[in-house]
Amino acid sequence: MQSPPSPALIRARWFNGQSSRGRDVLLTLEPGRQGPALRVHVLDQAHAASRRFEHTEVEWPPVWSQHRAPAVVTVALFDAGSLEIDSPQAWQDALAQAGERPSLTQRMQTHWPAFLGVLLVAAIGVVAFYRYGTPWAAAQITRQVPLSWELSLTERALAQLDQGYLKPSKLSAERQAELRRQFDALLGRLGPELKRYPSYTPRFSLAFRSGMGANAFALPGGTVVMTDALVETAAKNGLSDDALIGVLAHEIGHVVHRHTTRLVVEQGVLNMGLGLALGDVSSLLSLGSTLLTGLAYRRQHETEADCFAVALMQRAQRPTGPMADLLLGIAAAREGQRKDQPAKKAERGSFSEWLSSHPDTRQRAEQLKAGQASGCKT
Amino acid sequence: MNTNTRSAGAGIEAHKLAFSGRSFEFFRVWIVNVLLTIVTLGLYTPVARRRTARYFFDHTQVAGSPLEFTAQLRKMVLGFLIFALLYLAFKIASDTGQTTAASIFILAAAVMAPYIWGSAMRFRLGNTRWRGLQLQFSASWKEVYLASWPIFAMAAVWVLMTFALKALAPEQPTPRPPAGPRGLPNPALSLPQVTLRMWALIGLGVVLSVLCVIRLEFNYKSLLVLRAGIGNQRGRWKPVYSDFVKVWAATIGVFLVSLLLAVGLLGLLALMLGASQALLSNVRGMGPMLAVFIALAFLAIVIGLIVASAPARAYREARMFQLIWNNVGLSQVARFKCALKTRSFVLLRLKNMLLTLLTLGLYRPFAKVSEYRMKVDSVTLHVKGGVDQLVGQLARQQKEGLGDALADAAGLDLIG
Repeated sequence: MQSPPSPALIRARWFNGQSSRGRDVLLTLEPGRQGPALRVHVLDQAHAASRRFEHTEVEWPPVWSQHRAPAVVTVALFDAGSLEIDSPQAWQDALAQAGERPSLTQRMQTHWPAFLGVLLVAAIGVVAFYRYGTPWAAAQITRQVPLSWELSLTERALAQLDQGYLKPSKLSAERQAELRRQFDALLGRLGPELKRYPSYTPRFSLAFRSGMGANAFALPGGTVVMTDALVETAAKNGLSDDALIGVLAHEIGHVVHRHTTRLVVEQGVLNMGLGLALGDVSSLLSLGSTLLTGLAYRRQHETEADCFAVALMQRAQRPTGPMADLLLGIAAAREGQRKDQPAKKAERGSFSEWLSSHPDTRQRAEQLKAGQASGCKT
Repeated sequence: MNTNTRSAGAGIEAHKLAFSGRSFEFFRVWIVNVLLTIVTLGLYTPVARRRTARYFFDHTQVAGSPLEFTAQLRKMVLGFLIFALLYLAFKIASDTGQTTAASIFILAAAVMAPYIWGSAMRFRLGNTRWRGLQLQFSASWKEVYLASWPIFAMAAVWVLMTFALKALAPEQPTPRPPAGPRGLPNPALSLPQVTLRMWALIGLGVVLSVLCVIRLEFNYKSLLVLRAGIGNQRGRWKPVYSDFVKVWAATIGVFLVSLLLAVGLLGLLALMLGASQALLSNVRGMGPMLAVFIALAFLAIVIGLIVASAPARAYREARMFQLIWNNVGLSQVARFKCALKTRSFVLLRLKNMLLTLLTLGLYRPFAKVSEYRMKVDSVTLHVKGGVDQLVGQLARQQKEGLGDALADAAGLDLIG
């Protein structure tokens, strides 16, 4: 008969899985290879009998609190039934003595510093993931999305818009042709170093519509829509066509960077990740953080399109100043009639959204005038 | 001969069920779960579910012995992954407009619903132990599908309803209603006309559907209890269908009353603020704001319905809990009695909802613990002949955790 060096004997009842009648046993913990092993000594037999359970043969119960344990702790022995321990504190002390090393989850559960440490690491990790990881993954996935998918999406979206509030343009055919000519000329300047996806060849086309405020937006696959109101606003402010072409350069930037497709991927990652993780806290919180992060991605896209516009306009040897003036003009008009401010924008990459996603329109306009935009990768 | 002296009757012992968990402790379990789920992009979900179940089981004492939750993590993770992949496939199919594939998924889900329920129950009971004895759910698949007849009856009702409505619909007059701008029919005017008889038919369909839902709940609950077992003992079930109908009828009554109260309160509020007048005068000049306003109003109605139905849902939950835990038992050995107070439970639920809303969800673990405690502490177990008498054998372990993951998606909570 051998006994452990410090025989911490723990009273327990053993249920063998066949009967609800328990048998009194004594437990001892012994060091084992993967962790503490458990020895069960049966007491109610004439001759002493014991059985050793290796670390992996025992379902070790979690510790829920440092200071308090459930009145009765159960230990499952898989097919050998269960143990009920009436003195959880003695059990936990014996475990610590036998060299049981609590898991990270366990430490987070019972020690605040462990939890706060993981929280800090997690916060950094999550920010890095959503700031850099998701956009990077979105770019990789977007590479695989065929142009035909984007074109069919655009076809459906435009048909829907035309059935909704968009109306045919009232601009004269000559004016439309003139703007299209400049649009095509601008595209002629689109060099390979401006392309984010070298093998991506969108089918660019410029469409005119009326029925909404001064606006321009890009649809995936290459369709850029400009409203009559935007052309009129430019004329009203006495601006040259450079202003309108600057806006078109911005929209071409959205197309070349495939921002709509990227946003679908990014939004998908957000919905899956944040939705699943925060859904248990509250759907409001999950929705809010998804919305805010999505907005951050959009702002990033706007900045990219902005930088692209400046670069393309410089290649075309056209000034970016008029575009900035148009921006300010629209902002001023909107200040003037607050009531008409469109609060909802369904389209991706709309030019007026560019205004709303950047609080300081004036500063950005000045940067555009100087022929540079902040936050550009050089 | 009865040798038990602890109770005066025919050797019947009474054991109050007890929950010894604490809100703040569970808050820590929960917050760790949330954090790790975020870090792992949701992959921690099965572990989180297992930890939650273990916390509640560890602290639930039945006749002095806690419940044990013995599901193996590996199986739960596997089930979760299979389910996540299926769901992802469905999402991709529906988001990219592959309607055929998406509808096949939905159809398969409908046909599989009884199977999902059955495996969830099998998983839940098969992984619960008490005093080392494993609970079982022994219904055959045939029994499960036979008990599911209301699902198929409801589908049949609506198929018939569609045909009947078509037959009853009045002939559309040939002159089309005035067209909207650009030759498109104005959607507001081209709605089909609905006659009184058609309304009556729709009403009949709704009533039949509700009866089917009640029947389904009754069938599933009774099958669950009758085919549940521990050791060599089987469950006992006393309620009848009309008991369920009564609870539902009372629930609908509670819902209507709270809806009236909510509407009345809102109306009063609007009147007091004079907001209605100010809004109406503004609507005309608003243009695009009108769409936003309508969207907000719609959101308010949805939230209002959720809030207004909360008392009714809590009421139903409490009444159903009482009905079941007052009328089930274990063959001739054990009976349960329940002293849950409907009023207290409804008030607790309302308080919890309010606090959860105010704390952006951080109160949720506290709410869960308080409701679970009120329910568990209300139940008393009466045992004839002592709790030592059960004998049985360890059944084969549950093969997979898929049932659990599917049940999770179907909204069957492990706890509660």
